[in-house]
Amino acid sequence: MPDVSSPSSRRLLCALRNVSKHFGNIQACQDIDLELYSGEVVAVVGENGAGKSTVSKCLYGLYSPSRGHVEVNGKPVAFRNASDGEKAGIVMIPQELDLFPELSVVENIWMGLERPRYWHGAFNSSAMERRARQLLHQLGLIVDVTTPAKLLSAANGKLVEVARALNANAQVIIMDEPTASLTEREVSNLFSVVRALKRSNVAVLYITHRLEEVFEVCDRTVVLRDGKMISDRPADQETEAGLVKKMVGRPVEQLFVRHFHEIGDVVLEVEGLHSGSTFQDVSFQLHKGEILGISGLIGAGRSEIVETLFGLRDRTAGTIRLHGEVANISCVREAFDHGIGMVPEERRTLGLILPFSVKNNVTFSSLLRFTRGIFIDTAAEDKFAEKAAREVTIVGAGLDDPVSALSGGNQQKVVVAKALARNPRILILDEPTRGVDIGAKSEIYRIIDGLAKQGHAVLMVSSELNEILAMCDRTLVMREGRLVSSFDRKDFSPDEIGSAAAGVAVNPSVA
Amino acid sequence: MSHNPDTETFAGNPSNRRRGSAYFNTLLARPESPALLFLILLLVVFSVTTNGFFSASNFLGILEQVVIIAIVGLAVNQVILSAEIDVSVGSVLAVCAFIYGNIAMAYGGNLLPLFAALAVGTAIGFLNGVLSTYGRVPSIITTLGALFIYRGLILLLAGAQVLNVPKSSRVLGLSDLAGIPVSVIVLTVLTAAFYWVSNNTNWGRNIYAVGGNESGANTLGLPAYRTRLIAFVLSGSACGLAAAVFLGQIGQLQATAGTSFELRVITAVVLGGTSIRGGRGSVFSPIVGALLVGVILNAMTLNRVPGTMELFVLGVLILLSVSSEGLRQRYLEKKI
Amino acid sequence: MTGNNTRAARAGGLLTNPFSKLGRTTVLAIIFVLQITLTSLLVPGYFSVWGLLDASRAFVEVGFISLAMTLIIITGGIDLSVGALLALVSVTIGFSYQAGLPLGAACALGVLVGVAGGTLNGLITTYFRLHPLVVTLGTFALFRGIAFAVSDADAVSSFPRWFSFFGQYKFGGMVPAQLVLLGICAVIFWLLLAKTPFGRYVYALGHNPTASRFSGVATEKVTVAVYAIMGLMVGLAGLIHTSRIFSARGNAGFGLELVAIAIVVMGGARILGGSGTIWGTVVGLLILSYLQDGLSFAGVRGDIGLTIIGFALILGVFLNENIQKIR
Repeated sequence: MPDVSSPSSRRLLCALRNVSKHFGNIQACQDIDLELYSGEVVAVVGENGAGKSTVSKCLYGLYSPSRGHVEVNGKPVAFRNASDGEKAGIVMIPQELDLFPELSVVENIWMGLERPRYWHGAFNSSAMERRARQLLHQLGLIVDVTTPAKLLSAANGKLVEVARALNANAQVIIMDEPTASLTEREVSNLFSVVRALKRSNVAVLYITHRLEEVFEVCDRTVVLRDGKMISDRPADQETEAGLVKKMVGRPVEQLFVRHFHEIGDVVLEVEGLHSGSTFQDVSFQLHKGEILGISGLIGAGRSEIVETLFGLRDRTAGTIRLHGEVANISCVREAFDHGIGMVPEERRTLGLILPFSVKNNVTFSSLLRFTRGIFIDTAAEDKFAEKAAREVTIVGAGLDDPVSALSGGNQQKVVVAKALARNPRILILDEPTRGVDIGAKSEIYRIIDGLAKQGHAVLMVSSELNEILAMCDRTLVMREGRLVSSFDRKDFSPDEIGSAAAGVAVNPSVA
Repeated sequence: MSHNPDTETFAGNPSNRRRGSAYFNTLLARPESPALLFLILLLVVFSVTTNGFFSASNFLGILEQVVIIAIVGLAVNQVILSAEIDVSVGSVLAVCAFIYGNIAMAYGGNLLPLFAALAVGTAIGFLNGVLSTYGRVPSIITTLGALFIYRGLILLLAGAQVLNVPKSSRVLGLSDLAGIPVSVIVLTVLTAAFYWVSNNTNWGRNIYAVGGNESGANTLGLPAYRTRLIAFVLSGSACGLAAAVFLGQIGQLQATAGTSFELRVITAVVLGGTSIRGGRGSVFSPIVGALLVGVILNAMTLNRVPGTMELFVLGVLILLSVSSEGLRQRYLEKKI
Repeated sequence: MTGNNTRAARAGGLLTNPFSKLGRTTVLAIIFVLQITLTSLLVPGYFSVWGLLDASRAFVEVGFISLAMTLIIITGGIDLSVGALLALVSVTIGFSYQAGLPLGAACALGVLVGVAGGTLNGLITTYFRLHPLVVTLGTFALFRGIAFAVSDADAVSSFPRWFSFFGQYKFGGMVPAQLVLLGICAVIFWLLLAKTPFGRYVYALGHNPTASRFSGVATEKVTVAVYAIMGLMVGLAGLIHTSRIFSARGNAGFGLELVAIAIVVMGGARILGGSGTIWGTVVGLLILSYLQDGLSFAGVRGDIGLTIIGFALILGVFLNENIQKIR
């Protein structure tokens, strides 16, 4: 990288040279050149679907690049799997906790690594425990190391994963959205861990889409957009607005489509809703023609609320009123009957039957509409699917193509079309633009805006604050299973929403 | 709250200040503990209610029956821990016994027939394992197919033959050391070996990882195929050893020998507290489970319950233990 | 993987799944014709329309079960208990008749026991969220155990003459009654699977049960229904079996589950679920059954049948799982 000056004390640890990766005809990343030096924290930022995780998977060996290669200590290498990458000192810490739930903390910290042994060949469990305690102590975590991993909180689990990476003598640690499910205090603790790693000359590749974090811990920022590298510059030469512009590739105002208009009567009213220990005492109202956001950290209970409204989860207390009448929704079919539709969080695992064709996915929730007697009327099905696909602008794919062959954006549009096929009056969207390219994103926003204009009520769960700020009339904020605050559009402030979600009051003297 | 069967919960650790009741709780939370309590309860109940149950000779009889189930169970336990299954052991046991018997009748001795049976069992286990991992055939299909393939072969080859093994070749089934049957000693040594290997080798630890969180194991690049393959190989070898004990005990072989043996073994493993989903269980699970199966079958015989009821009882036991595991999962899901 | 998908796409959508397999079914049908030709040439006196039709009596029972097994395997499930359940059905018919129940009522009771057994499998599987493999392994022992316990190694064979209708009557002295019934059932199953929403749900369940639930499919009801249908088919098969051999005993149907699974797999269904067709299963049934028939006609001992079916099962799954990769 010509524009990065590397002091002589900093050693080049590893690099991606001209790396491209495609899956079938989908280009996940293209011509990536990235160098990592010891003792630096490099932020990789980009919108969902920009190729951040593909790039990191190529680096630690889970994917082998379609073109280009990885270099470690100046020599080209060809990793066959993740454990090759780990042996070369490149360790990944995935976004979701990936511990072995039944095994203890010590076992997790040593899994897949060379364990110390006694002279007689048995594993030296006291040395293993000692090392585990020492590593965790270094990271500021004090737990009984014989606890099974399934009893750890998300933040502590994350630290155990860092401890394992250190135990593997990692020179390069890739952290994928490490703060996605952490509270404010846990985040600042993690940052001090990252700084300590930096002091001990470890390189950290820090994948995030929270820009404020970039300026807090990172030395360098790499921006990806639609699989391509847009820029690579020292963090102190960047501004938040500049980064956003590079990530989005056009002025933000043009990405979002929103026409505001009068909001109608209450259509959905939730009062004192509980579901076991996942969330408690949630009350809110949703109006006709309104887009209501639900903001908060991952694991705050947002998806669980909408799943409960959609009949996928048992409600343990509280009432749901639709148009003023109490509704008892205990399965998805009842939610459908009440005019509720949903676009779930993970389209590949929750939203689509991947091997089914576009057509069969679009009509899958509403098959009975196309059934004459007991048989499916395929002509009516075809006709409907064609119209629906046109409405959500699925481009470059035939109705009979399996959705697995479609791009993320087109897949998401299929999920939206499927939810709309039942003419819902209330549409729930859970992370509607996750893993979707910029173009499709904008079109999805246009569809959402159009629905609100037609008088649908939209409930939108999103982790992208920009999305909430630009699209919603109002937003709720969840923290640790509770609704902590609610903001009207005129009071929207990224800082206040962010800190409500993370659990600290904004200190005016600092803010 | 439940614990994994880690070494360190047993290995005394001076820096750990958990004593007394905490230690007792840890013990209780081990996967095989409920089964152990149930076993003790049954022993008490049967001793009181059933004539002839509480006697040294009866206990010895139970042990001898249990040994064969337990030997194979130790290995099948590893297969199930790795989230696979092996239903072929009944037929494999019969094939190995057939080999053992023929070699013993032709050449005599104990070691040569034992090695032959072990070799054949290991080879069959290897084949099962390779097909179920690298061959991408789900293990239920591989081992179900194997169950019938080998049973068909045995019926074909041994259907007419009457195997009578000479006494001199029945050491593993007949002789004892200081009043303890050799087979029980073999089982004890084998259990200790499994315990050591499970806790002190990468393979032993990887079994739990691969069975408990397959995608996590892939992320770390653990050798999932090799780990499972070894478990299948051990299962085959264990059938070889068990065949020697089996033939040593009864001395002759029928072509239908070992029918529904796989059910006894799987019952023992899941009854002993190993999760049928993999990743959770203890080396001692099959031992406790096999004792339970043995005690229940023995009490049935003593109480003159017809032998035709055995399958019924095994079915009920399997369904009860896997259902309670299912309930545990449901409960955990609700809690989280 | 994606290349594979585009290939499927060209063949025409989900319904891709069943229909792209038509190629395979055709190939299997050709193999079947060749097989009959070859056997007829090699074994003098084997070929006659009467003989082939008559031989069908031996496989119609497993045919009924294979039809339902196709549904179960498409949902990603498996049923190991069918052989045992057939024995239980047969024993129920025989011993309830012996105990004084009118034969008609005994037959109805037998079929009902079949449906109840299948439903039990479905309910345990869904309620405890267990893999059907373990559940049906348990009920396999349970059903067989009850059959043994009830019959106590005894058999009932004192049925009235008319009872032979289900298993021994032939239309025009040529076409076995049960073969006609199997044909009707095959058409019904085909319509159910390929033309109705239920069939669509069955495929979807095999591909992705969670997404199916999120799409409003009552996944638990579909699962229970599929196992209950299997129970019904086992009930019919048990009735025909008892009538055909004119005797009810506890060891009936030994190894039946294996044969049925092997047939379905040979017909092109992936054991992991999501694919398979009724016509594939029908051709698989013909191939495996006439293979056994030809061998026994040629004087090969019946025990080898188990071995052949075992091989066919493993080989079938191996090919289904690996061929697409090799291409």
